[in-house]
Parts: sequence; structure tokens; C-alpha cells
Amino acid sequence: MSGGETYRLHVDGFPRTVSGAWIGDSLLTVLRDALGVTAVKDACEQGRCGACSVLLDGRLAASCTVLAADADGARVVTVAGLGTVGLARAVRATFLAEGAVQCGFCTPGFVVAVTDLLTRRPDADADELREALAGNICRCTGYGRIIAAVQAVQRDRAVQRDRDAR
Amino acid sequence: MLAGARESGTEVVLLSGGTDLVPALRSGERRADAVVALRRVQELRVRGAGADSLTVGAGVTYTDLVGWSLSPGLARTARVVGSVQIRNTGTVGGALGSARPAGDLLTFLTAADAEVLTASPSGPARLPLARFLAGGPAPGAVVTAVRLARPGGPQTYLKIGGRQAAFPAVVSCAVLVDRLRRSLTCAIGGVGRLPARMEEAESAAAGDIDWATGTASPAAARRFADLVTAAAARIAPALPVGPRESAEYRWHAAGVLAGRAFTRCLLPAATPDEPT
Repeated sequence: MSGGETYRLHVDGFPRTVSGAWIGDSLLTVLRDALGVTAVKDACEQGRCGACSVLLDGRLAASCTVLAADADGARVVTVAGLGTVGLARAVRATFLAEGAVQCGFCTPGFVVAVTDLLTRRPDADADELREALAGNICRCTGYGRIIAAVQAVQRDRAVQRDRDAR
Repeated sequence: MLAGARESGTEVVLLSGGTDLVPALRSGERRADAVVALRRVQELRVRGAGADSLTVGAGVTYTDLVGWSLSPGLARTARVVGSVQIRNTGTVGGALGSARPAGDLLTFLTAADAEVLTASPSGPARLPLARFLAGGPAPGAVVTAVRLARPGGPQTYLKIGGRQAAFPAVVSCAVLVDRLRRSLTCAIGGVGRLPARMEEAESAAAGDIDWATGTASPAAARRFADLVTAAAARIAPALPVGPRESAEYRWHAAGVLAGRAFTRCLLPAATPDEPT
């Protein structure tokens, strides 16, 4: 592949066609600049901050470290595509209720990462939460409110599970 | 295709993972006329075990290795790489391609005497990691896997640096003990351009270890740490120094990490926190 070829991405449930993009473009650049998907945030462009986190075929990835053309055919899910019910809704609502959002720039990446984490490890303890979220940087909250929000989601879901089991 | 492209002067880069390469393309630090993305080559994502050796495909990610019970040392190394995002994306082949001075996997594989398996139009080839790193693969060759011996005793990997999820290690250290061969190997990353073996400290350790029990004394751990500090100071050419990463700091850190790694592998559990 060289410059300017056409490929298809599957973004938040919709097929999208990318044409004329530079072959070296990251998924982050293509999502934001070519497709107008601003639910992913652009901050460090070095895979360090997590603001551009997406699910790529179900795996958490920093979209600035993924070659867009190599995501041809893969399912890309941003915070906007996580859905409006269930866990993703609970994570968003609890972030608001617990004050885990200040300037909000890191929030889309955090919501994707937290949803991924709680899908895989619903009962993760505080140490595991901190380790699993280390790839997402927040410069406002000091993380206390974010961890508290994640734990609040865990408690609510545990209560829900108990209720469903009865 | 790779060989042909090189002849025509086209800059072709191999992409395995992308955690280093994609940001470098974006920033202009690396350039490419064409990119060959290897993510979908399923054959590169295989890992397997032979009677004496483990083979890990170049497309295997760190996340794939985190829980690998056949190599606790490799699993531990993979577990402390970057963040979840990086571990899900970065690969074994990518670590060899990037060849960072204190690369986590590179340091471990250096201590493990790993071999690099490649494929090219002239067929498969196998070469020691150090030779691969010194000369790179033959033109037109692709790294297919790394091969290392099955663990023969305790192994560990330790590093020191800034926030793990966001920055590579400043200094890294791998120690592998092989109770059958009665040998200890140690590599230090972050002092020279590539991880280096600590041969003098290794042979001193082999003499200090009580091989019947697979243990050593706190004095042996201190001696090991001192020998590593001294050897680190002799590595040439050393990396350029930064404001918070003087050469002296790196040598000191190398000794501290080596002493800790030695202690974890060889001192009875009763004294895990004994200062070294």
C-alpha cells in the first residue's frame, strides 16, 4: 500500500470509507480529521495519555498507535459507540454523579477503558483498578474521584447481580 | 517484495504492533513510502513449547504473554510493559525492531540468550539476538519468532524510571537462574545503546550460589550488585546523559536493581527485604 488508497473502517457500528488519507496516518488522525469522529480526543500522540482510547476488535488500544489503514475491516468502538444501556451507561452516569469529571478531556478515554476493564474484571480490587487505568492520564482530579466512581459502579452492579440471582 | 522495494529505493517499513512506529511516522521521526502491516499474519501470532525451548511468534502481544505459565520471567516482563493499551498492541517483533536501549523485552531476551528466527526469499534463518541487533536482519528478511530455553530456575525482571505506563525504563535488569546448568545470567539495559550482559558478575555469582539448595547469601547479593555497578560503568559507548539521568545514576541504579533481582531469585523467603 502507498499513499491515497481507499479503505473501509467500521466505526461505532457504521461502515465508513476513507479515501485520500496518507498511508502513515494513525487511526486517531483518520477518525478525527477524515471522518469527523471527535469522540476520540487527541492529546499526546505518543501512546502515553490514553485520551484517544478505543476498542479495536474488542481490545483496548490507544488509537494514536494504530495505523488507520491496518484497521481496515476491524471493528472500532469509541465512547460514542459503547451504547446507551448497561455497563457503559452506568459508567458515564456514575462519573458524573461522583465528580470524576472536571475539564472532561480525558473522560472519553477513561469511559472506554473503565468499560473494558469492568467487562473483563468486574470485581477488580483497588490496586488492579489503578494498574489497569494507568494508561489514562487525568490532570485535574488526582484520580481519587475516578477510582471512587469505578468502585461505585462495581457496588451497583454487584447489588444488581444479587437481585437478579434471587 | 521487500527485497524488490529496497532495490528500487522505496522506503518500506514493517509494522508489527505500532506503539513505537505509528507515533514516529506521525511526528516525522521515521518516514515510509510504504508500510507492510503484519498484524493479520496469523502464523506470526503462534507461541509454542518444545522439549527444551520456547518459541514466541513475532506477532505475539505483551497481553498474550502476561499469563504464560511456561515462562514466568517472560510473563513478568510483559506485565510491566507500558499500559493495558500498549500491552494489547505492542508485539515481540516490534520490540526487536524498535530495539530501545532499556527495552523491557529486549533486556529479558538478552539475559535469556534468545535466538531470532527470520524468513526471507532465501529461506528461514536463525541467529543469536546480539548478532541480530548488531547487524539487523538480512535484506528482505522478516522476523518470525524468538526462541529461548525453557526456564531452569527462578527468573525476574526489574526496572526503574518514570511513570511506567507512559515512559520507557531508564534502567532495566533481568536475572535468570538455571539450576541444571548451574549458571546465572544478567542483562542491564539503559546504560549503553542496547542491553548488555554482565559476564563478570555472572561468573562470580555461579561460584557464590549453593547449587544444592539454589540459594545464596546476602553477602553474595551485595558482591553481585557491586560487580554490576562496576561493569555498567565500563559499558561503552554510554547513552547521552539527561538532566535527571546522569551516567552515575544509571550505574548505581543498575547495581541496585541487580542486587534486588539476585535477592528475589536466590535468597530464602525469610529475608526478602534485606537491603543489598
